[in-house]
Amino acid sequence: MTTLVELSSVSKSYDGASRQAALDGVSLAIERGEFTAIMGPSGSGKSTLLNLIAGIDRPNGGRVRVAGEDLGGFSEARLARFRRARLGFVFQFFNLLGNLTVLENVLLPAQLQGIRPASARARAMRLLDELDIAELAEHYPARLSGGQQQRVAIARALINQPLLLLADEPTGALDTHTGGQVMELIARLNREGQTVLLVTHDAKLATRHAGRVVTLIDGRVDDDTRLEGASPLPGTMVKVRIQEEER
Amino acid sequence: MSLKFGILGLLAEQPLHAYSVKARFEDLLGGSWEVNIGQVYTTLQRLERDGLVEAAEPRGDRGRLPYRLTEVGRKALQTWLAEPESEPQQLREAIYLKLLLAARVADGELPSLLARQRRVYLQRLKDLAALEEKARSAGREDLVLLYQGALLHTEADLKWVDACAQATKLGRGKR
Repeated sequence: MTTLVELSSVSKSYDGASRQAALDGVSLAIERGEFTAIMGPSGSGKSTLLNLIAGIDRPNGGRVRVAGEDLGGFSEARLARFRRARLGFVFQFFNLLGNLTVLENVLLPAQLQGIRPASARARAMRLLDELDIAELAEHYPARLSGGQQQRVAIARALINQPLLLLADEPTGALDTHTGGQVMELIARLNREGQTVLLVTHDAKLATRHAGRVVTLIDGRVDDDTRLEGASPLPGTMVKVRIQEEER
Repeated sequence: MSLKFGILGLLAEQPLHAYSVKARFEDLLGGSWEVNIGQVYTTLQRLERDGLVEAAEPRGDRGRLPYRLTEVGRKALQTWLAEPESEPQQLREAIYLKLLLAARVADGELPSLLARQRRVYLQRLKDLAALEEKARSAGREDLVLLYQGALLHTEADLKWVDACAQATKLGRGKR
C-alpha cells in the first residue's frame, strides 16, 4: 500500500481567550484503500483534522501531504481545485442545493471541474443507478427522505472520482436503519477500492466498517488500533450465562 | 439466565428428552453457550419432583425419557416470562477487579492496562457486529437482538474505560 495522507507533527490552534490547541503535534499516515475511522469526544479535534486534510484550514505548525503534495504551499485557488478534483465530502446534513434537481446537484462538481457534459452526465447517471436512486434524478431534494438525500450527497462526492472520501458523521441525521444502509454503501465503496476517512463519535459505527480506528483526545492521537476482520465464533464472543438451580 | 425456566420454555413448545433439550438450547442461543448435559438431567429431575414437568410417555429407546410441561409448569413459566428482571447489576469481568487492585498496587501500569483493554473492546465491537450480520443473514432476528445487546454492553464498557483513563490522567481513581 502507498501513503495517501500524511500528517507530520501538525498543530492547529484558533484565536480565542484560551488559545487552546485544537490539534497538538499530530502525526498520522493513511494508506490508499484504507477505511479509517477518526473517533473522539466533542472538542477532541476530529473536525479540525478533517478540515486540515481537506485544505479548508491551514495548520500553525507541521505539514499536511495528500497524494504526495504538500498542501502548505498551495494558494487558496489551488486548494479549491485540489478539493474539487481529489476529495469527496459527505456531511451530516447532506448540504444539497434545494433549487437544483438531484442530477444537477450531482453534476455540479463535475461542471466546476470542467468535465465534458456528456461524460459527466453518463457518470452521474451510473452513480445514481449504483446507489439505487436513478429514478429520483429529476426530483428536488426537499421531496426526498434523509436516506435518499444522503445517497445523492454520496453520488455528488464521488462524481469526480476522488482519491479520498471524507465522511463527517454521515449518519448523524438519519435513523438507525437508514444510517446502517448508508454506512453499508460507504463500506461497499471501500471494498471496491475507495479510500475512506470517517469521522464519528460512535464506536459501534466506527468499528463495524473501519479496519482502523484512530482516537483523538484533547487534540492528540490517544490511540491508533488496527482491527482484525476475521469472522469470530459465537461461543468465543458471547456467553449467555445460565445458572443451575440451587435446590 | 435460569436453566430451569429455559427448559420450561423449550418444553412449552413440545415434549423433549434431555439430549434434545441440550441441542435446542444451543441452537436457541446461537452457539453462545454450551449446555452441560448433566445439568440438564438434574434440572429435569428437580422439575419433575416439583411437579412442573412430567414424563410424556414411557421410557423410550436407549432409556430416553421425553418430558412435557404440566399445567403448574406452564403457569410458572408464564409468571417468569412476564416479570421484569431486577437482579443486581453483575460486573463479572475480571477487568473490574483488576482496575480496583491496579489503582492500589501498580499505579503506573494503569494507563497502559486501560489502553490495551480499550483495544480489546474495539475489536469486540467489530466481532460482535460480524456476528450480528451473520445472524441477520441467517434470518435469526432473535439472535440479532442478542448480539445488539452485547454490542451495547461493550459500548458501555468502552465508555467506562475511557472515563477511567480520563480520571487516571487527572489523578483521580484512587481510594
